[in-house]
Amino acid sequence: MTDIRTELMTLLNENRVRTDADSLGQYGLDWTRFHTPAPSAVVFPRSVDEVAAIVRWANQRKIGLVPSGGRTGLSAGAVATQGEVVVSFDLMRAISDFDPVERTVTIEAGVVTEQLQGFAAEHGLYYPVDFASRGSSQLGGNISTNAGGIKVIRYGLTRDWVMGLTVVTGQGDVLRLNNGLVKNATGYDLRHLFIGAEGTLGFIVGARMRLARQPRNLTVLLLAVPELDGIMSVFRLFNDGMPLTAFEFFSEQALGHVLARGHSQRPFESASPYYVLLEFEAPTDAETELAFSLFEKATEAGWAVDGIVSQSEQQAKDLWRLREDISESITPRRPYKNDISVTVSKAPAFMRELDAILAREYPDFEVVWFGHIGDGNLHINVLKPEDMPIDAFKRECERVSQWVFELVKKFDGSISAEHGVGLLKRDYLGYSRSAEEMAYMRAIKQVFDPNGIINPGKLVP
Amino acid sequence: MKALVAVKRVVDYNVKVRVKADGSDVDIGNVKMSMNPFDEIAVEEAVRLKEAGKVSEIVVVSLGVKQCEETLRTAMAMGADRGILVETEAPLQPLAVAKLLKAVVDKEQPQLVILGKQAIDDDANQTGQMLAALLGWPQGTFASKVVVADSKVDVTREIDGGLETVALKLPAIVTTDLRLNEPRYVKLPNIMAAKKKPLDKTTPADLGVDPAPRLTVLKVAEPAKRSAGVKVASVQELVAKLKNEAKVL
Ligand SMILES: Cc1cc2nc3c(=O)[nH]c(=O)nc-3n(C[C@H](O)[C@H](O)[C@H](O)COP(=O)(O)OP(=O)(O)OC[C@H]3O[C@@H](n4cnc5c(N)ncnc54)[C@H](O)[C@@H]3O)c2cc1C
Repeated sequence: MTDIRTELMTLLNENRVRTDADSLGQYGLDWTRFHTPAPSAVVFPRSVDEVAAIVRWANQRKIGLVPSGGRTGLSAGAVATQGEVVVSFDLMRAISDFDPVERTVTIEAGVVTEQLQGFAAEHGLYYPVDFASRGSSQLGGNISTNAGGIKVIRYGLTRDWVMGLTVVTGQGDVLRLNNGLVKNATGYDLRHLFIGAEGTLGFIVGARMRLARQPRNLTVLLLAVPELDGIMSVFRLFNDGMPLTAFEFFSEQALGHVLARGHSQRPFESASPYYVLLEFEAPTDAETELAFSLFEKATEAGWAVDGIVSQSEQQAKDLWRLREDISESITPRRPYKNDISVTVSKAPAFMRELDAILAREYPDFEVVWFGHIGDGNLHINVLKPEDMPIDAFKRECERVSQWVFELVKKFDGSISAEHGVGLLKRDYLGYSRSAEEMAYMRAIKQVFDPNGIINPGKLVP
Repeated sequence: MKALVAVKRVVDYNVKVRVKADGSDVDIGNVKMSMNPFDEIAVEEAVRLKEAGKVSEIVVVSLGVKQCEETLRTAMAMGADRGILVETEAPLQPLAVAKLLKAVVDKEQPQLVILGKQAIDDDANQTGQMLAALLGWPQGTFASKVVVADSKVDVTREIDGGLETVALKLPAIVTTDLRLNEPRYVKLPNIMAAKKKPLDKTTPADLGVDPAPRLTVLKVAEPAKRSAGVKVASVQELVAKLKNEAKVL
């Protein structure tokens, strides 16, 4: 233990190696609360060379390394439970080499999502990958989970914005992958292997990111939807009718938790079982008028019974909070999260069957529904009863997860739409990936990380 | 009783404004414009008074460019009955606004005029007061509670050290503070209904008012940039910095 510390201090200077209990507890966990953190040290490199040196040292030492970003991950990907050394990117936050013609910029892995969004805004541009943890999550973490979020329907996933990567592989080699090229037909694009790899192949140290034009006058509609089935009918109607930048839904139960925090007002006088939040650009009156006419159709069909439209950016923000604050408002209840997806056309049938399973299997638990339903992505959060021990709760949820995942498999869906696999979903990977596919995944891991140094035990069973 | 509410179209609260390169003004080309938040509160209060049966008709007035129509439509979607746009491209300062509003009040004869306590763009906090003076009406500024009964209105104001309630004889002027109410969201069906509500247009010339500015803006500048924070290693270092650099100890 002390020699690990001493050895690391020869690689980095003293105050960038921490072994105090507070730091170990804090940096040993992500947003999940199902594991006991037990790293042996936390280190804070400042450069590619330092990261490479740490990896080479770990290979000699045969000690595990856990890549750690903003630790907002929801699948225990950045969790250290077995004496690993946590490698934090907190000190690598530089943004450089902005190119206004290509609209690209170079970032270090520790740049916080919101920091890049702010940088883009200052230059009249837009970084469109966005979600509630934007104030803490880092680009390294976003790239490693191929993060999605609330604007996927229009702007795609993190993957779509990565023009180049600098990585340190599990062997300690530095690779510079696709330096910002739009076109590059020279074989395997290793960049895309590292995106979404959850830090199991190596470290993302830096990236070249693409930025978008700023959207004009984003306008938010919130609709009261009486039935589960109506959600996807409203989706079809609007998605066929006009370009959307977001399509989210949440249940009255979810809204109840947000309102209980006292920061928001109830949007409609009376409660509705479900709500749909959708967003679009409205540079002229025409878009708003089109949205209104679609809303009229939705009410005629009985899919929606009421609707609100934002009149200012402040109102748009306030309406977004009703959706975005859900995750945080239920955190004290230690939610067990299912982050599942199916193709959009299968979503209605899938949701009906899922509803039946959850009602049958969780008669006594509170189940909160919300999600990026425009992408076929549902977040099902099961809340822990106050008096139930966490282990018993997790066991019970895992029992029900089998049913949920069987259903996901039947619909050719994914057991993790955007949160990743980490430790939490690893043993369920077989529901979404075949045995052959997993064998190839293990073989790829072996190529980049032959000693199993980087993020051991995560993702690949 | 008729209530008149003044609404101003301003740069949206969430927009980071930029100063024009020549320092003459802030740049409002291509930025999102919305109703002044204090005016939203004023409209909401009028609508609540109407719902409570205290007010029978709400007239909203906006002064400025043609796009102020959008602001009036929002107010009508919230519940105002009709709108008046005093259309002009001229820059308007509080005194001109107060004179124009007085002319509208003379025509409309409302018993109650509700305005925001200030607009978030120029933060002048003058129009309500000037209008009260021009009309010779009583005024209750910075209202956090408004109670209308018979021929008077009780206005509770947040002042240093507590609350003060003033009783005003109608007709009267009320300006709204932040805590008066929480404005409602606008319902989609109401937006459509608002398109059918009457919106009359007039001009400063029609009202016989010369809106020419009386004040000259010399210069508009960005606030000084805040320098980044630093972490100190010890309490001693913090104390030393507070003493020597910040000079607050
Ligand atoms: C309130 C809330 C809302 C959320 N909403 C969404 C959402 O809408 N969509 C979505 O996709 N996610 C969402 N998340 C999940 C999470 O924020 C994202 O997965 C995010 O991308 C994680 O970034 P991070 O920096 O916090 O990563 P961490 O949690 O620190 O790490 C995530 C994974 O990436 C690895 N990693 C981190 N940095 C590096 C690096 N430099 N090199 C290699 N590997 C690395 C870690 O080992 C781990 O496996 C949400 C989380 C919260 C708390």
